[in-house]
Amino acid sequence: MANDLVLNGTPARPSGGVLPALLRDPWFVLLLALVALGVAWAATGTTPAAVLALWHWSPALLRGLGMNIQISVLAMALGTVVGLVVGAVSLSPSALLRRVARAYVLLFRNAPILVLVYFTTYVFPFEVKVAGWYVPFPDWIKVVIGLGLPASANVAEIFRGAIQSIPSAQWEAAQSLAFRRTQIFRTIVLPQCVRRMLPSWMNLTASITMSTSLASLVGVHDLVDTATVASNTVASSDFTILVYFTLLALFFAYCYPIARWTRYLERRYDNT
Amino acid sequence: MTATLLQAWVDVFRPLGLNYSFVQDPAELSAFGHGLLVTLQLCAWTIPVSLLFGVLIAAALTSNRPWLARPLQAFVEVTRNTPTLVQLYCAFLVLNMLITQKLGGGNPITPFAWVVIVVALHKGVFHAEALRAGIEAVPSVTMEAARSLAFSRRQILTQVQLPLAVRFALPALVNNLVDLVKMTAIASAIAVGDVTYESIMIWSHRDNVLELLLLILLYFGLLTWLVSVAGRWLEDRLRMPGYGQ
Amino acid sequence: MTTHEINPLVSLRDVHLAFGDTEVLKGIDVEVRQGQAVSIIGPSGSGKSTILRCITGLLRPQRGAIEVGGVRVDGLKTESDFIALRKRVGFVFQQYNLFPHLTVLENLVISPVKVGGQPRAQAEARARELLAKVRMEHKERAYPGELSGGQQQRVAIARALALQPELILFDEVTSALDPEMVGEVLTVIRDLVQDGLTCMLVTHEMRFAEEVSDTVYFTEAGRIVEAGPPSRIFDAPHSPRTRAFLQRSSGASHARRSARPAAPEPVAAPFAGQEVYA
Repeated sequence: MANDLVLNGTPARPSGGVLPALLRDPWFVLLLALVALGVAWAATGTTPAAVLALWHWSPALLRGLGMNIQISVLAMALGTVVGLVVGAVSLSPSALLRRVARAYVLLFRNAPILVLVYFTTYVFPFEVKVAGWYVPFPDWIKVVIGLGLPASANVAEIFRGAIQSIPSAQWEAAQSLAFRRTQIFRTIVLPQCVRRMLPSWMNLTASITMSTSLASLVGVHDLVDTATVASNTVASSDFTILVYFTLLALFFAYCYPIARWTRYLERRYDNT
Repeated sequence: MTATLLQAWVDVFRPLGLNYSFVQDPAELSAFGHGLLVTLQLCAWTIPVSLLFGVLIAAALTSNRPWLARPLQAFVEVTRNTPTLVQLYCAFLVLNMLITQKLGGGNPITPFAWVVIVVALHKGVFHAEALRAGIEAVPSVTMEAARSLAFSRRQILTQVQLPLAVRFALPALVNNLVDLVKMTAIASAIAVGDVTYESIMIWSHRDNVLELLLLILLYFGLLTWLVSVAGRWLEDRLRMPGYGQ
Repeated sequence: MTTHEINPLVSLRDVHLAFGDTEVLKGIDVEVRQGQAVSIIGPSGSGKSTILRCITGLLRPQRGAIEVGGVRVDGLKTESDFIALRKRVGFVFQQYNLFPHLTVLENLVISPVKVGGQPRAQAEARARELLAKVRMEHKERAYPGELSGGQQQRVAIARALALQPELILFDEVTSALDPEMVGEVLTVIRDLVQDGLTCMLVTHEMRFAEEVSDTVYFTEAGRIVEAGPPSRIFDAPHSPRTRAFLQRSSGASHARRSARPAAPEPVAAPFAGQEVYA
């Protein structure tokens, strides 16, 4: 440990390929164990009632998870596009534009996400008139917008931070080579920015994905809502326990690999 | 006196299309006021408890005891990679039910307490990460220097590691606390009477969602601003002149 | 120096140390008598800093005997043993010594008060004396981040003296400094040597090592290649490896040195007329 009074050398770690590393990961082992348990139950026909009920509900649950993933993907897409624009505006030479962008970022980063979701769900109309037709405006799209707004504010900040972290020496070097401002942006600064932004952007994606669970509070039929419905329908306390911990497990199974990959990316880009 | 102020408020906003007449209903006004108080209480409890959890988790993770660090690391990963709402449901709907069954009624942990515990644990994990990064940012030579000055292990920890780690981690910790304040809004999901919940109750009668959301936004904006100001004051008091910030 | 049965203050015998699979010290023998100044020179990675760290117990050798002031360092076990040793041995590092969250005065006072149990007023008085000695008394309320590298090292030396050690170790204390600050730190060290404090220096400043040392050790690849008085090591080294090292370093660090009568030596013609240590 760092504050030991005497330091001893650390032994070298053995290195292997991807597959051995996966097999050594305790989570993967746990997953395999659960699968093995499930197979054993099915083979011997001794599956507990709660687990059987879970199995019956699993298509609905997975559909719910699909809704969460759908919302998160679209919210991140919307948030990234809008966020890059806002981020670019926050760096503009015009002081007024900069202030507008900063106000946008301040507003949507300091608002609780739940409040923003309520905002877009209840304040937006439930149908929109487009070219004479009434098009229903489904709740889940409202949640997409509700999550896209804070996502965009965060992307704008990440973008601004990345641009500002490029040492000014590079700007000066490029300018002395007679590049125009837009050329500098495109060929030198942007590629580096993308690399610097990536870990934070992935963290944001994970955070937005987890925030999609709030959709259940505004009536969207996502995973959490499906679990609640299932729990009320089956009305067995064993099943309730099982289904809610399955919720945890499903979100974990989706988000944890992303988090691991993000850490891998961070390590790779740290060595540049 | 207050009646005239409230009337003025309603009158100011009516031309803008905003209906604040709920403030003239004493029951609804006091419910809203109660909600403001409960949110404040949630923050007042969760902030110190989360910091405490953060220090404990950081200490356990950096200790050299694998039987403590490993399970805790697993817990940290689960907490970071699952939604807080789901954690709250698991705690309140599942654990609470189990505890009530075991105790046969008379469960001392209120929903308010569950919100504090779950949110404080969730943010405590992020605090622990920030503190751990802060601990690792202390240059190893500075620790060798402390060792060479005949400090004991505990003295190195308290006189050198912790003061420096806290200073390095402070911006991240303050960010986490701002997030934490915003996160208390999920208390409304388990019917804890915070400002969000009370607002939902009011707008389901009066349909003045926008008006209430604006008030909520202002209130959370105020709270987060207070936290950032406090954070900046602390950063100023603890700063190390000349140490590149 | 005549051998007169005084036990050396520091002695290392056949010290071996390895980090994992890498052997860093392969049988080191060093002796330092009280009041002496000893320099250790050599290429990077030769183990010089490791030797110093073994002396104060910051690193533990796998084999060999280390004795400091009558105490077997390699045999120390408990925390209080090490603390007792380190109260007697001062150490100055290459950089990031000082505690950045404390002022200069607090840096000097913290160890005597927390470790030595001295009353604060007494510790502060002594601290001010030490700061005056290293010519930093006007900066007692400054923070390390506000000082230059040379100023920080002078404060670090004062801090190492705060517990009144019998021995002080300097680990490449000028290597990280800008050239114009090296002199002020070397002046402080020279004063300490002249005051009779036992010093061990790991350094690349050859001229300084030659000037202040009683004994110079040349290490390479974890072994002591040659040891002796500076006049021999620098002017007429026995080992060709010592000569090669000195030639390599002479280009880098002796541009400023004024010409000095070189001892006659069969050196290749290209070096004639240039200053060389050979």
